[in-house]
Amino acid sequence: MSRHHLEFTLNGRPCAVYVDPGASLLDILRDDLGLTGTKRGCSEGECGACTVLVDGVPVDSCLYPAVKATGATVLTIEGMGDATRLHPIQQAFIDAGAVQCGYCTPGMVLKAKALLDQDPDPDEQAIRQAISGNLCRCTGYSKIVDAVQRAAQNLGDAATTAIAAASATTTTGVATPAPDLSPALTAGATPPLSAASASQAEAAPSVHSAAVSPAAATLGHVGTSVPRLDAVPKVLGEARFGDDLYVPGMLHAKVLRSPHAHALIRSIDTTKAEALPGVWGVVTSANVPGRMTYGIIMKDQPYLAHGKVRFIGEAVAAVAAETPAIAGEALKLIDVDYEPLPPVFTVEEALADGAPLVHGKGNLLLKRSVRKGDPAAAFAEAAHVVEGTFRTPLIEHAYLEPEAGLAMLDEGGLLIHSVSQGVHYQRGEIAAMLSWPVNRVRLKQATVGGAFGGKIDLSVHPYISLLAVKTRRPVKLVYTRAESMLATPKRHPITVTMKLGADTSGRLIAGEARIAADSGAYASYSFAVVTRCAVSAFGPYSVQNATVDAFAAYTNNPIAGAMRGFGTPQLAFASEQLMDMLAAKAGLSPLEVRRLNGYQRGQSTTLTRQVIGDPEGFLETLEAATEASLEWAAAVGATVSGDPDTAPADSDAPPKAAGHQGGDPR
Amino acid sequence: MRCAAYLIAETADQALSLLAELDGTGRVIAGGTDLTLDSKLPETTTMVDISRVKDLRYIEERDGYLHVGALCTHTDLARSSLLRRKAAALSAAAASVGSPQIRNLGTVGGNVVNALPAADTAIALTALRATAHILGPDGPRTADLLSLYAGVGRSTVDTSREIVTGFSFPIPSGSGFQRLAKRKALALPVLNAAAAVWRNDGPECYDVGISVGPVAVTPWRADEAEAVLRGKEPTREAIDLAAHTALTTAVCRDSIRSCALYRQFMVEVLVRRALEAATSAPASATNASGHTAGPATTGNTPGGAR
Repeated sequence: MSRHHLEFTLNGRPCAVYVDPGASLLDILRDDLGLTGTKRGCSEGECGACTVLVDGVPVDSCLYPAVKATGATVLTIEGMGDATRLHPIQQAFIDAGAVQCGYCTPGMVLKAKALLDQDPDPDEQAIRQAISGNLCRCTGYSKIVDAVQRAAQNLGDAATTAIAAASATTTTGVATPAPDLSPALTAGATPPLSAASASQAEAAPSVHSAAVSPAAATLGHVGTSVPRLDAVPKVLGEARFGDDLYVPGMLHAKVLRSPHAHALIRSIDTTKAEALPGVWGVVTSANVPGRMTYGIIMKDQPYLAHGKVRFIGEAVAAVAAETPAIAGEALKLIDVDYEPLPPVFTVEEALADGAPLVHGKGNLLLKRSVRKGDPAAAFAEAAHVVEGTFRTPLIEHAYLEPEAGLAMLDEGGLLIHSVSQGVHYQRGEIAAMLSWPVNRVRLKQATVGGAFGGKIDLSVHPYISLLAVKTRRPVKLVYTRAESMLATPKRHPITVTMKLGADTSGRLIAGEARIAADSGAYASYSFAVVTRCAVSAFGPYSVQNATVDAFAAYTNNPIAGAMRGFGTPQLAFASEQLMDMLAAKAGLSPLEVRRLNGYQRGQSTTLTRQVIGDPEGFLETLEAATEASLEWAAAVGATVSGDPDTAPADSDAPPKAAGHQGGDPR
Repeated sequence: MRCAAYLIAETADQALSLLAELDGTGRVIAGGTDLTLDSKLPETTTMVDISRVKDLRYIEERDGYLHVGALCTHTDLARSSLLRRKAAALSAAAASVGSPQIRNLGTVGGNVVNALPAADTAIALTALRATAHILGPDGPRTADLLSLYAGVGRSTVDTSREIVTGFSFPIPSGSGFQRLAKRKALALPVLNAAAAVWRNDGPECYDVGISVGPVAVTPWRADEAEAVLRGKEPTREAIDLAAHTALTTAVCRDSIRSCALYRQFMVEVLVRRALEAATSAPASATNASGHTAGPATTGNTPGGAR
């Protein structure tokens, strides 16, 4: 295989590089040219994080053979603006609050650039169409649409200024950022910062100093919108996510994963893999010097499978090699002798008599029960009773950034620079694994490209740590999208059987719930999640006589752990449907039954007995949503009850959302 | 992508001679959006990139036919005002593929040679009665579009020796395309359908093309449904009967995207809507394009794009 000499124009400058014939444009931009602003999200054209413009046209650089770019003009995020002169589109993304985790941002900015070059004044539909190949898991897209509209405005203003000023250059959709940059838009910026010195903390205030309002000057930032602290490096593509870390001499790791849901490991032979040229180290559970298992609440999960595998995708061995390709080849040379065992895939199977045991003990992981009042008597008095069984599936967080990190030895011991939602917890687990004092392990959080609970558990950390210690070289590991889906914790699949009883007016007086959660092979966050399921069983509705039994079982499914909402969304799925059923029985509208039963100030919650002090927002949200829906319906001529025959032909325009929300993508 | 070398051809003749030299180890690549993900490619493959062959990227009207070059991207087809006016089914089908990035690279020739039974442009071309034009070592040949399909993902075009150069079809009096998918972008169709009608001066359709995917291992032509309308005026009753005939003659399967039963019922709905679009029949009460919460249906609407 001979390498191709590729010449093209990159961000306005000629570029020449030798490339493998099968390399993608994404590979050479990141690995050979060091332009890590172009993000790797899925490597199969689904997510759009790797969008670049080739001759002004957006393409997925992961699907674009590098050689195809011969003679072409390529624009990446690095060619848009820099810390001293943001491109107006980048500025608009910051101003609109469209930058959250930042992993989709470079692709979105380039999509906006291509759109606005073609259509300087796009309507919302055109913007949504243009960004339809770019996933964002944080914003819900609204703010990105706002940002593109603002950018159109900014560029329009800039063009007017430029034409008035002198001979305006028509934007070509490629080349250097200069033609688009309006002096007016960057005049407020402080003296130039070099890209290298523009750290995340200092870049933001300097660029935004002009935007601080007089009120903010006296009250600080209270009551004003402030730009996200790390928004500037994120819009520039300079933020360093786990996969963006490169150090000289680093090795690349890959993980061998179980093809079996449940099997004994009779033996593992790594000798052939270790003999492969380019391989520096192979580790299995035999190489774990300290504690063998970890877990945020209960230490039941092996760092590397020990004697047994309990789900498809469980880590069995890890390899560090000169290149990812060699590491991949080495995995094929590891012989694992498995003895398959009968697996269990549902909670019902797991708890049945004689079920195969996932761990040595029984499959019942935990149980949480809540009792309040006298539910039997209340149900006996109830005028209306509704009941149902509801199942929700396993859900993957699907953050755009796959797990990635780099571990290396330095004078302080071991430094892990990686994705993380809990550096202190993870550091402790790694120290225990290595049997090192905690102060010899440091964990530095890389910029996190979305997590939603899914990066609280360990992912790449134990493998890169063991391999860095073994090989004495820096070791990097990046999960593939498939690996990220397979191996990391999910939202618990849950089966709920729930019964609600109400008096003649429709007011809830009794509730009963049996909640069965599938924890998968290990406990992860199940104790906390299932506790929340139990105490939040009836959602925001007051039920003063209740019986709730919640439990979690081990199965041979993927691990369930932390995910936004922590067990409450599954229960809302059940309770909200029962509330609709109750409304029908009691002759109330779905809205009325909720108004009647929603918590009010001074009431105590059903199951934790917390007294509601400040309004918790449910009834306010309900009223605001109702009002917004009515406005929307009046505007488009629909009925709020949602009769499909009277809905407009194009009912795609969503009703204006109203509600309380908070938090950030981590 | 697995390959040993990557060559760029500037002309079709150059591509053919490269393929001849490579004697079976070459492989034509155009947009590459499917091929770059093909993990079964032999590592010894030499890619022959034809995407710069300018004279295979055209959309023209000639002698009552529309001619579409194989290297037209989906974006080209979606944006072509000629196609939007005269073969709306094809432009609507192209507009529904993948994402803007995929449409900017992926070509109509590739969509056909990749040989998936619900490839959107192939479904439209099937209803439009398209003929494929192919250039091989023995010179040009033509073939009925459906004859290019040997099974799921298997084309009768030998892309180690031949190049699909384009497609042609008689300009229809009207055509329509409908698609049902879980999302509006980056989602393969649960079901798609296209219809085309050809009329002279009178109201009768002297020919009708109806196709649906994925119903068989290749794009499926609803022969019996076509027969219901052929030679007749496309009244509401006739369209309903044709759509119902499509339902009763299609044999849908379960897949990860949908169960067979749902598909079976939706065949009637999509075929009816495609026929309405093709014949400009008045929209029925059920022609609303669904709620935001439901699966996304897309397509050209009756009365638009004639």
